[in-house]
Amino acid sequence: MSSNKYWKGVEELEQTQEFVTSNANEFSEGLPLDKVFANDDSTRANRRDFLKYFGFGLGAVTLAACNKAPVKKAIPYTEKPDNVTPGVPLYYASSSVSNSEGFPVLVKVREGRPIKFEPNKEATYFGGGLDGLGHSAILSLYDTNRLKGAMIAGKRKVQEWSAFDKEVVAALDTTVANGKAIAVVTNGSTSLVTNQAIADFKAKYSNTNVVAYEPISYSGIIRANETAFGSAVIPAYNFQNADVIVSFGADFLGTWISPIKFHSDYGKNRVPKNGKMSKHFQFESLMSLTGSNADVRVPIKMSNVGKHLIALYRELGGATPHDGMETAGNSIKQAAAELKAAQGRALVICGSNDEQDQLLANAINTMLGSYGSTIDITNYYKGQSADENNFNAFLKEAANGSYGAVITLGANPVYSHSQTEAAYTKIPVRISTAITRNESSINSTHIATGLHPLESWDIQEPYKGRFILSQPTISPVFEGRHIASSLVAWSGASVKGTKDYSHAYVFAKSVFNNSIGGDFNKAIENGVLENTSTATVPSLNVTMNSTIEAIAAKKSSDKELILYQKVGVRDGAYGNTPWAHEMPDPITKVTWDNYLCVSMPDAKAAGWETGDTIKVTTPSASMEMPVLIQPGQTKETYGIALGYGRVLPEEVQNDLKDLGHNAYPLVDMKGGFANYTIGGIKLEKVETARVYEFGITQTHYSIEGRDIIREASLEEYRQDPKAGHNVHKPKPISLWEDYDYSKGHHWAMAIDMNSCTGCSACIVSCSIENNVPIVGRDEVRRRREMHWLRIDRYYSFEAPAKKDLSLSIVHGGDQTVEAGDQMTKEKVMEAYSEATEDQAKAYDYYENVKVAHQPMMCQHCDNAPCETVCPVLATTHSSEGLNQMTYNRCIGTKYCGNNCPYKVRRFNWFRYNENEKFDYHFSNDLGKMVINPDVTVRSRGVMEKCSFCVQRIQSAKLTAKRDNRKMKADEFTTACAQTCPSNAIVFGDLNDANSEISKLYKDDRSYHVLEELGVKPSVQYLSKIRNTDNQNNA
Amino acid sequence: MYKPKKHIAFTALFTSISTLSFSKNNMSSFYSESTFLALIILSVVLAAIAALLFGIRKHLKSLNEEKNPTTKEPTFYESKIYPVISKWNPTIATLVIAGFLLVVLGSFGYKFGMDEVGVQQGYAPNQPINFSHKLHAGQYEMDCKYCHSTVEKSKSASIPSLNTCMNCHKYVKADEKYNGKTSPEIQKIYDAIGYDGDNMEYIEGYEQKPIKWIRIHNLPDLAYFNHSQHVVVGNLECQTCHGPVQEMEKVEQYATLQMGWCIDCHRERGIESETNEYYEEVHKNMIAEGKDYVTVAENGGLECSKCHY
Repeated sequence: MSSNKYWKGVEELEQTQEFVTSNANEFSEGLPLDKVFANDDSTRANRRDFLKYFGFGLGAVTLAACNKAPVKKAIPYTEKPDNVTPGVPLYYASSSVSNSEGFPVLVKVREGRPIKFEPNKEATYFGGGLDGLGHSAILSLYDTNRLKGAMIAGKRKVQEWSAFDKEVVAALDTTVANGKAIAVVTNGSTSLVTNQAIADFKAKYSNTNVVAYEPISYSGIIRANETAFGSAVIPAYNFQNADVIVSFGADFLGTWISPIKFHSDYGKNRVPKNGKMSKHFQFESLMSLTGSNADVRVPIKMSNVGKHLIALYRELGGATPHDGMETAGNSIKQAAAELKAAQGRALVICGSNDEQDQLLANAINTMLGSYGSTIDITNYYKGQSADENNFNAFLKEAANGSYGAVITLGANPVYSHSQTEAAYTKIPVRISTAITRNESSINSTHIATGLHPLESWDIQEPYKGRFILSQPTISPVFEGRHIASSLVAWSGASVKGTKDYSHAYVFAKSVFNNSIGGDFNKAIENGVLENTSTATVPSLNVTMNSTIEAIAAKKSSDKELILYQKVGVRDGAYGNTPWAHEMPDPITKVTWDNYLCVSMPDAKAAGWETGDTIKVTTPSASMEMPVLIQPGQTKETYGIALGYGRVLPEEVQNDLKDLGHNAYPLVDMKGGFANYTIGGIKLEKVETARVYEFGITQTHYSIEGRDIIREASLEEYRQDPKAGHNVHKPKPISLWEDYDYSKGHHWAMAIDMNSCTGCSACIVSCSIENNVPIVGRDEVRRRREMHWLRIDRYYSFEAPAKKDLSLSIVHGGDQTVEAGDQMTKEKVMEAYSEATEDQAKAYDYYENVKVAHQPMMCQHCDNAPCETVCPVLATTHSSEGLNQMTYNRCIGTKYCGNNCPYKVRRFNWFRYNENEKFDYHFSNDLGKMVINPDVTVRSRGVMEKCSFCVQRIQSAKLTAKRDNRKMKADEFTTACAQTCPSNAIVFGDLNDANSEISKLYKDDRSYHVLEELGVKPSVQYLSKIRNTDNQNNA
Repeated sequence: MYKPKKHIAFTALFTSISTLSFSKNNMSSFYSESTFLALIILSVVLAAIAALLFGIRKHLKSLNEEKNPTTKEPTFYESKIYPVISKWNPTIATLVIAGFLLVVLGSFGYKFGMDEVGVQQGYAPNQPINFSHKLHAGQYEMDCKYCHSTVEKSKSASIPSLNTCMNCHKYVKADEKYNGKTSPEIQKIYDAIGYDGDNMEYIEGYEQKPIKWIRIHNLPDLAYFNHSQHVVVGNLECQTCHGPVQEMEKVEQYATLQMGWCIDCHRERGIESETNEYYEEVHKNMIAEGKDYVTVAENGGLECSKCHY
């Protein structure tokens, strides 16, 4: 029995009336029975009505029966491409768009339609996983709102490319004749193809200024590295080499730089092998995905990051001329001790965009010997490296009228940089290459509609010497043209229109031959290419005195606003991706919205409730936001997510239209760099007619406080590998006969809660693989989300220290509770109230929460409770251990959902794919292209649930049978396991001794959730081990 | 006037007859035998009740007539029709009329029902090209797999693309039958793919027009069927399910393609356990148990998610 009480949300912990009521009901809305049975003749159905409807129904059915079955057509290829076999998917190495620089993937293509991204396991450097946004980007290919071809302002019709090119060239020539400059605004492109095309363009138009623009700035790191080492780059971070990680506000698992790669690297050291695992300290303000996975999480203020760094620097033996530092109790001391012990295998990172903070972090890393080991500045990161100085200078000049034309390539600065729009209007010729109408393209004079990455040839270099090659997997859906082709066409080369995309191929190939060289076809086949050099250790050029003085001189504000990115949406570049929006945020579990996060003490002090509208006023702007109370957040810090409030084309008429609020205008640009921590804010409640209701899934499907999370500390685990779940297990007596799985296959899954970070990529991957519909915010409010796989996020309390409350976490201090006690809210409160009578600190315990993530899907129980209650045998058991769901038998009684202890069954309330109200690309002809043809599209009125990707099981078995061989161990896996960046999910055949799953099943950490029920699930969880002990603590 | 008894009688009879008609159409497996028996017993009981109620009603009516005799003008029925039919044997007459009606209505109902669930046995629509399987597969003995080339690799056997046709029809124009002109049916291929039959060359830059064949075998979306599973692994002949295609001038749907039809075969056929290494363990167990073969059903072939997912 674990010693903690777990809770999913504040409302559950506080047992609010609303929660108690809604939790008692399986479904959020009851049937309107009162109305039907009311003694009111107008609503009461009588015998006559019954006969009328009955007769009408009978007549309608008879008439319908007179119709002939519809004639279906079968249209074969006129000339079949050699490698296409109808019904068999093809996989092409290409790239998806998780970050602006792309991410290596395999694209699954059926009959010429790309239908899913799968991770490219060859791309080991990038970790062989993929995130939720990357997955959902496939829908943007089938977006009906995409621009249909070359457009000229004032003309509705799509232009011929040749005529369009003439107009553009004429406009550019006029610009040159007027002596004005041309600007090319890129998204900090790492694409060799685009860069070459820009170079070709510059050859003709020499007065061209190339400006890189990225919505999220990392210039603090870049400038610090320039000052410290003389190379203005973002280094590559190697978390796999780090035994101790100390992060100051860097959400490296969620949104910081390259999180998918960091995920898999980080995950490698998080599974306790031989009693060892990495130790992760996180000092942060908002509860981030990274913070939720840290062993030690310390709530601090972001504006104080530098002062904590000073303290750490001093602890590590650095000379500090100044005392302005924060020690966060003895947490900094602990971190320093751990870091020292892990010399050469330590890593300190900092998420603030301030040069001084980053300089100090560099100095600390130099002391720790991180360079060459955990930090690689030689094979540095090339993406997201735009310097806002250049862009700001460009805006200034543009506002002065020195630019005659601007070509916006892929970037969308009007949305994310508030001063852009005014500057753009001063430029007479505005050319955009956007593929959908966005904020920057909407006022363009010319739109040279580009191509989706899945329609393009490309060579990207996200890290120095590491290349990702993209190939088109579908011919252009609309009449767009490759960006490079457009630029080259304007500089005088002969390029035809959309249909002739051979130009882009020839161009990409020549770029490859000139800059990389080697076998182009082989490189395209692999999708990635490496040509790196050995990491060097740079020497530090500067002393820290002035840096420390500068940091110490900074005043910390009493209240501060932190602008952050959400895991699902990131910087907002891909606004029109419903799958990413429906994916609940890993921490807040809110879908479809951004909000103002506040800490519990602040909310209590101000008298705010979740859903109240708050007006946030910063020194430069103000906006109104609904508020959300977030446990774990530092007092006096407030968070708003960027990436929302996109202005989408008029045609979009659903939840995508109304997506939160754009927080980019709040970004503080005063210091010459984008500052995401803003002091001097004012907050006031706005009286509104009603409380805003979020589409929030956190307390849907309650587990009723049952003991389902098992965890232990590393020390406990060392002493007893079964620690945390070593409970007395009564021998279950079964009413049922056991299944005999000794023959054939026995499918099972194992989920390592230590590796699982809660990133939610699996949710999106599962949805796409299994045609799970998108239901929208309103339906999520009604608890009708359809996800087959959810990730439950549980909070529990840290044991508080009695004496020092300002120190958030003190390990090994005076604990008011004995080990093994239930850490209930009452106990924690008691501990706090003993220590302080101060009302202002009454809710401070909410800062100290631990988080556990638990993916939950159908457990495929042997004695499945759902099977016994189905009146029509629609859910049955297979000889291979699967709990089978047969949709065509299901009559929708929902008994199975009621009886399921894991709450993993979903009822299909609407015919989502035919209903215009659910137009999330899925109910129109183009959007339907993304549907997986091997999985039934469920209709209204049936239950559905995780099938263990039975279509993949069947297909893998068939391949083995056709090849006349036995199945190989782990030759396939489910969609969730395949995409997991940290390998937390393992699926396979228990009867195969060589499979990974059969080994994992013997692991001492493994347990079944709710095993006391005796339902014998086929999914095993591996208990969570937290490395919280202080071995090196002085 | 409320006449529930008649409804009951009709319903009972209809049920039994339609049940019988199912059984005639090789549908016994659609319902299990016990369900079928139960239905028959039920209809017999219902019929008996109906007869009893009829009797009671008649009796009560005559009693009522005795108590309150009425005198009325004879109606058309009483004056013209009653004298004729009163001479018939009432039992035989009722049975004949009712039987006739039930057979007619029942067969219509059956047809409608089948159409409604998409059972199209015998469906033989006119195709855009009058392609003769009898000529190609029968007379010229071409292998099915020559044209339906993906049948061993994929779930769909696939209709051949036109370049497959052109392998022969580049030269074979059947012009000897049409006074030196290309056969009109073959000309349709040329028109689709862009081939000049007279000069024997492809037309450059021709906008191809794919042939829109009419799909004959329509499995519902909820059922997954894989040709390669049956042809390669199961070692089935095409004709087992598709019938004597080599004799069909116009292809028609041979089997019902209903679940019962699938299941029947899965219950009877053995798997190719001896030759396929995948089934090595199954084969060993089979020999150990002294069996001659393992049916698909015994190997899990009746489980729902083998076909429905």
